[in-house]
Amino acid sequence: MEIVVWAGWLGGLAIGGFVILHFWLMGKPAGCSTGYGNVCGLLSKKLTYYRQGEYSNPNNTKLWFLIGIPLGGFLSAMSSPEPWHLTFDMGMYETILPQSEAAKALWLVFGGMLLGFGARLAGACTTGHALVGGAMMNPPSLLAGFVFFLSAMLTTQLLFNF
Amino acid sequence: MHKFPLLKSAKLFLISFSFVYRSNFLALLMGVMFGFLMSHAGATTYDYHAKMFLMIDFQLMEVIATAVIVSMIGVFLLKKFHIRAISTGAEVDFVKKPYQSGLITGAFLFGIGWAMTASCPGTVPAMIGEGKVGALFVLAGLLLGTMAFGVLQTFIAHNKSISDTFK
Repeated sequence: MEIVVWAGWLGGLAIGGFVILHFWLMGKPAGCSTGYGNVCGLLSKKLTYYRQGEYSNPNNTKLWFLIGIPLGGFLSAMSSPEPWHLTFDMGMYETILPQSEAAKALWLVFGGMLLGFGARLAGACTTGHALVGGAMMNPPSLLAGFVFFLSAMLTTQLLFNF
Repeated sequence: MHKFPLLKSAKLFLISFSFVYRSNFLALLMGVMFGFLMSHAGATTYDYHAKMFLMIDFQLMEVIATAVIVSMIGVFLLKKFHIRAISTGAEVDFVKKPYQSGLITGAFLFGIGWAMTASCPGTVPAMIGEGKVGALFVLAGLLLGTMAFGVLQTFIAHNKSISDTFK
């Protein structure tokens, strides 16, 4: 589905405004990947790691933030000229991904596992490290953001050119 | 037990409910805004990721650079005037993510996942809202990966005994 995309500077301005608004309203940095830990805590009561510390109350604001995101994506898709529909088309990635649907799904699950495990090992995802951490000029976040970028660029170059 | 008329008890229930969950509702609203903006900025469109890493189109670079500069100014102002947060009433807490061992390894694995799926944990839910089926599989993987990390940490905390980990 064709999503209406704003100019880069406008999107950046809006997201920058969002980060400030989040600080002002919630009183803490915005973050996405921690919310998945809450979901894991809710899924398994025996897993003590996602039941203590910052996860001691799984039904917290991080989880509600995560629940809100799909609604925002849906609202954005509503402004598209096409009607809302399900699609498994991945644009440019169609040329490098496995051709069969099942293999493509497995590929995405594996990539998702790397995202989930990597985000927890690094402490945060692109939002927490690159965006919000960058705004606070936090050295570990800047390092993590740089490595995210470097490794993704290397992998994409390998995928498309070799 | 106190008995109130139905209308009054419903009203009281609503008031106390929205009071207890006020920060959660704010967070929900913030989530909606985040998904909407990520989508309109192009972060949920697969091709922009490929084009950025192949250095064809710098839409997402422009977005993140502008966003970081704008929010840097905002953070500076919020700090300078000691602004209090709306939901907590306390001063805004600029808690920074600490350096943790495994940060570079984790970031490297994350980058590979980013290149493989052209999405990141924040954009996956927005993609689901847009009707992208692929994002459902990435979400499944994300939860599995997060779960694996929790299992590993619980395993280490329980003296590396598998039977104690799931007790």
